[in-house]
Amino acid sequence: MATLPDEIRAAMQGVVPSHVVTCAADGTPNASAISQVYYVDADHVALSHQFFNKTKRNIEENPQAAVWLIHPETFETWDLELVFDHSETSGPIFDVMNMQIEAIASMVGMKGIFKLRAADVFRVVSVTKTSGERIPLSQIPRADR
Amino acid sequence: MSRDDADSSGLREELARNQETIDRLNRDLAKRTSEIRIIQQISTEITSTLDLREVLEIVLGAMERVLGFRHSMLLLAEPAGDALVVAATRGYAQPEANARVRIGDGVIGVVAERRTLMRVGNVGVSLRYLQAIRTRMQAAGQAPAGDDLVALPGLPDVQSQLALPLLVKDRLVGVLVVESPKSNAFDELDEVLLRIVGNQAATAIDNARTYEMVDRLGRLKRFFSPHLAELIIRGGADDPLKTHRREVTVVFLDLRGFTAFAETAEPEEVMGVLREYHAEMGQMILAHEGTLERFTGDGMMIFFNDPLPVPDAGLRAARMAVEMQERVSTLTVKWRRLGYGLGLGIGIAKGFATIGGIGFEGRWDYGAIGTVTNLAARLCGEAKAGEILVSARVAAELEDLGETEELAPLTLKGFARPVAALRLVGLKSPP
Repeated sequence: MATLPDEIRAAMQGVVPSHVVTCAADGTPNASAISQVYYVDADHVALSHQFFNKTKRNIEENPQAAVWLIHPETFETWDLELVFDHSETSGPIFDVMNMQIEAIASMVGMKGIFKLRAADVFRVVSVTKTSGERIPLSQIPRADR
Repeated sequence: MSRDDADSSGLREELARNQETIDRLNRDLAKRTSEIRIIQQISTEITSTLDLREVLEIVLGAMERVLGFRHSMLLLAEPAGDALVVAATRGYAQPEANARVRIGDGVIGVVAERRTLMRVGNVGVSLRYLQAIRTRMQAAGQAPAGDDLVALPGLPDVQSQLALPLLVKDRLVGVLVVESPKSNAFDELDEVLLRIVGNQAATAIDNARTYEMVDRLGRLKRFFSPHLAELIIRGGADDPLKTHRREVTVVFLDLRGFTAFAETAEPEEVMGVLREYHAEMGQMILAHEGTLERFTGDGMMIFFNDPLPVPDAGLRAARMAVEMQERVSTLTVKWRRLGYGLGLGIGIAKGFATIGGIGFEGRWDYGAIGTVTNLAARLCGEAKAGEILVSARVAAELEDLGETEELAPLTLKGFARPVAALRLVGLKSPP
């Protein structure tokens, strides 16, 4: 069952950063901006693992993740619920991600320093288009802004 | 809702579904047809010439006209294999012809290294992101200092790049690139289209290059040994037809008594003697790795130290000259029996000359300009049959190895003052 609509692919080219939210074993949430969510197939996406960070540690403790995607032209947004599936260190998905990272890294003299360690593949559990459903700024109490 | 209505609405739905399928198939067919049309159109244009420049222009022209790619570059792999060079561009304010891209640098360099197509829609954003990471890693001592960007040809504000390796039987010919200042400018269809053009372009470029190489090889083999000609083609030696200045040792030879002989003998006899003489001398030039600059009738001009640099140009020239005199002395015995009074005179000089291609498109010759060639020719003119005359500089280079006899300074045409010269009578073997 295909979960990701075709129109979402433009939001997965890394033009506008995406956000990923994970939780530690004790439930402490962590949100971080990531440069790109890669499209694998209609039911899977991949995140690049370059550094061992909080997101990576949380996934090891709790495989659930949420991602917020923004379309770079229309600014439509989507919420994705994900479950970590497996990591790849070779193969077509890894190669595509690795080549892009290497190409950019070589331009700033960071080849071999900034590199892809693994492509973390997640299964897409749900997709919700969230445009227009965000709470307008005016409805947020001034004290919370 | 009646039963009939339900049935007919079901039928309508099915018909609509069928129509959708038919429409989809028609669209697919239209796409296929247009792909085939593109292939035909481009292949007709690309295969219409064997001139490399024209092939490159046609490829980029067709990409813009037929496929709508506005900014494109074609880079060719250098023979040495560590870089690509921009060979043709289209749609750039400042075309960066001849700009180099090292294999492994940037999108183009990585595509060449991995030999895989790459599509990136966020070059600018990725670069800024990585620069920010670099600053952080530098602060933590995890990345080397510096904030420079590798200079790469292309749009200054490039966001999208689609780059395809051009391969012929696993060999990298070059890279075909399309660019855009807009993000996400290219999609899967563009990949398909680029592959179509790329495959044909690779073959056309390879054919044109092969043709050019065979043509050049033929030209080079007129002056240089086959081994050296191939070395030059493969990039292992400089192209000698590019103008350059170098110190060379020049050997001039011609046959004494040839003019008188040619005037009295039958043309067939003259040709027979020349053929024998050229064949023998040619073998010795090859054996000593000399460069035959030219021959005119019985005269020959041979270089040492260009295009192949040698440490002992003077000694090689002298050795060759001594062997040539020995060889010709056995030939003259035969010639004398036939009634031909011929003997070989040789002049050798050393000095700087400007060397390169002389002529015009389609008829390039390799030639040298400088006093040294004139001096060698004049010394040859002064040499009697069986003699080798060398300039003072050549004698100095030979040192103790050359058995020489000093001559009274010679008054030579083209030289204001008398010129010191020596007669080389033999060579000692090196200790």
